[in-house]
Amino acid sequence: MKKKLLALLLALCMVFVLAACGSETDSDAETSGGDSGEASGDTIKIGMIGPQTGSNAAYGTSMLEGLQMTIDEINEAGGILGRQVELIATDDRGDATEAQNAFNNLISQGVTLIIGSATSGATSALTNLANEEGVVLITPSATADDITTEDDYVFRACFKDTLQGSIAAAYVEQAGITRVGTIACSADPYSSGLVNAFISACQERGIEVVEQQSTATMDAQDFTNQFTAMASADVDLVYAIYYYNAVGPFLVTQARAAGYDGIIMGADGYDGALDYVSEGADYSAFNDVIYTNHYDPSDTSAAVQDYVTAYSELYGTTPLCFAALASDCMMMLQTAIETAGTDEASAVRDALSDTSVTYEGVTGTFTLDESGTPIKGAAVISFAYDESVGGLDGLGTELVTTISSDEIA
Amino acid sequence: MGEFLQTLFVGLRLGSVYALIALGYTMVYGIIRLINFAHGDFIMVGGYTLIFTVPLMTAAGMPAWMAVIIAILVCALVGVGVELIAYRPVRKKGTNMTALITAIAMSLFLENLAQAIPAIGPNPMVAGTFFESGGFRVAGVTLDYTTIYTIAVSAVVMLLLYVFTQKTKMGRAMRCVSEDKSAAILMGISVNKTVLTTFAIGSGLAAVAALMYIAQYPSVYTTIGSLLGLKAFVAAVVGGIGIVPGAMLGGLVIGLVESFSTAYISSSLTDTFVFLILIIVLLIKPAGILGKNVGEKV
Repeated sequence: MKKKLLALLLALCMVFVLAACGSETDSDAETSGGDSGEASGDTIKIGMIGPQTGSNAAYGTSMLEGLQMTIDEINEAGGILGRQVELIATDDRGDATEAQNAFNNLISQGVTLIIGSATSGATSALTNLANEEGVVLITPSATADDITTEDDYVFRACFKDTLQGSIAAAYVEQAGITRVGTIACSADPYSSGLVNAFISACQERGIEVVEQQSTATMDAQDFTNQFTAMASADVDLVYAIYYYNAVGPFLVTQARAAGYDGIIMGADGYDGALDYVSEGADYSAFNDVIYTNHYDPSDTSAAVQDYVTAYSELYGTTPLCFAALASDCMMMLQTAIETAGTDEASAVRDALSDTSVTYEGVTGTFTLDESGTPIKGAAVISFAYDESVGGLDGLGTELVTTISSDEIA
Repeated sequence: MGEFLQTLFVGLRLGSVYALIALGYTMVYGIIRLINFAHGDFIMVGGYTLIFTVPLMTAAGMPAWMAVIIAILVCALVGVGVELIAYRPVRKKGTNMTALITAIAMSLFLENLAQAIPAIGPNPMVAGTFFESGGFRVAGVTLDYTTIYTIAVSAVVMLLLYVFTQKTKMGRAMRCVSEDKSAAILMGISVNKTVLTTFAIGSGLAAVAALMYIAQYPSVYTTIGSLLGLKAFVAAVVGGIGIVPGAMLGGLVIGLVESFSTAYISSSLTDTFVFLILIIVLLIKPAGILGKNVGEKV
């Protein structure tokens, strides 16, 4: 009887795990209308898939804000091909299944041009669907290598992980660092893909990777043991790939508490982490935390400054790279629709596949390669704590250097 | 040596939190044979209460952690409320199984209710720090104050609870009800009152666990209690469910297994090891480490 009871308990354990999963995924993707209101047959419908709630919500809300601003500007200037653009935004909560639901939801509304999703995990669930349905999918920020392939309907506005990992390794070499360690979530395409790219680029450049650690999920909360290992392996830089929701509240402060005081290097997922720093934490821990990013908001070029000014007037904050990249996706779509002379998906796709077109976006001037991925450089940005300001306001970012794609080859 | 010590401290710190939560599972199970799956979500309730009351505390000039007193009260109220509204009526009419399903329902209900409250919403919220940063250097590793407080507080709480169940009248009543409900009624013990007190104490402990957990991992979200509660439940089963010292031991075992498997085997497999320990313990000693294998009374 006792054994039966315990077998029952175990079964319930599993049921509960499933139930917990269910609670995260069971609600339908919410749909919010675009600004143009009436869904007349005359508008060009653009779908957006991004995490507007859940642990990566900052990415999706940034995307939506940037996209909405760009579409408003396009509509004020007379639309595309004389037609107004209508945005239909959906929420995927950063989850692959939800992303597919959101995708099907958009298809059922007759949308054939989609911008999304923010993370590689969610976007990789959509690429096959997009090709099967013949729907153009442009992702602003999914950097995993295999997102875009030749002869498909998937494009992006960001660099891919092989490039981002190489850029990080190039910076490490420039900084004269020779001993590094890595921490990755092996189950996540973004984290493991980037770290693998970084490791192989390091090996080419003669940088020694002396310690490799991992976590079970991207939502890991405790990095103490991993950084203790880094401290005892005596590395000068740790390449740790997580999203802002782990970096802001947990990773950096735990690394310092575990006795690791070298450089922590990340990637575009660190963007926005400073909004998630626990109040009263040791802010100086964020010194020597650097990351590669798609653009630097303090860049003095006209394209960036115009964008940042317009965005901060509208929303009161500095745009994350996700906003800028989403706006660039819209710009790419606009160019392609105008070239094709129609918003029909296969024609737009053919226009985007033309590798000779140069796009001038907020995140740089670039062309697409055969697979539909931009060839462009990155900015290396550092978190910095200004003690004279103090408190959370003293935390900011500063540009370390920019690395162009030529320096990688 | 430094790495070993650090791993040990991380394990003890996690284990202390698991033990506090496991106590809630074990006390309720001990007294009404119900696995209160909503217990994990009491941590969520405690966490959000802390986030919203800390500004009140600091405004009143008191240290932030004092907010835990309000959190304990709120959690105790929610625990008692869940027992009165959901469990007691179901227990009267149905079987143990119906009560169990009700517990799962309450868990989902609390999570979704929290999401529906506009001030909470589905996105994680970041908590401020509760204790000053910094700590001691021991053998090359930093032992921060939060870790020391977590281990110390949970040790004190567990000691108090042990004394309470052994020495006080209400504690004795709890043990009586858990041993034989009908005999307890004959002895003049109010079973309903005892069960309510158990829920209040168990839920209050969840608030303390919430403080310790959030002080270490300053992020609160509506599903914070899912995995945390599940692991604490495993801890309770490993130690021997229904037995108070068993929950403490189980919590520490699970915390240490988690920490050492992260440091020395593979962090990707940490959760696998936690559940592997459960299976091994159940195979060798189905009643848990401290459990006594008594035959079911008929």
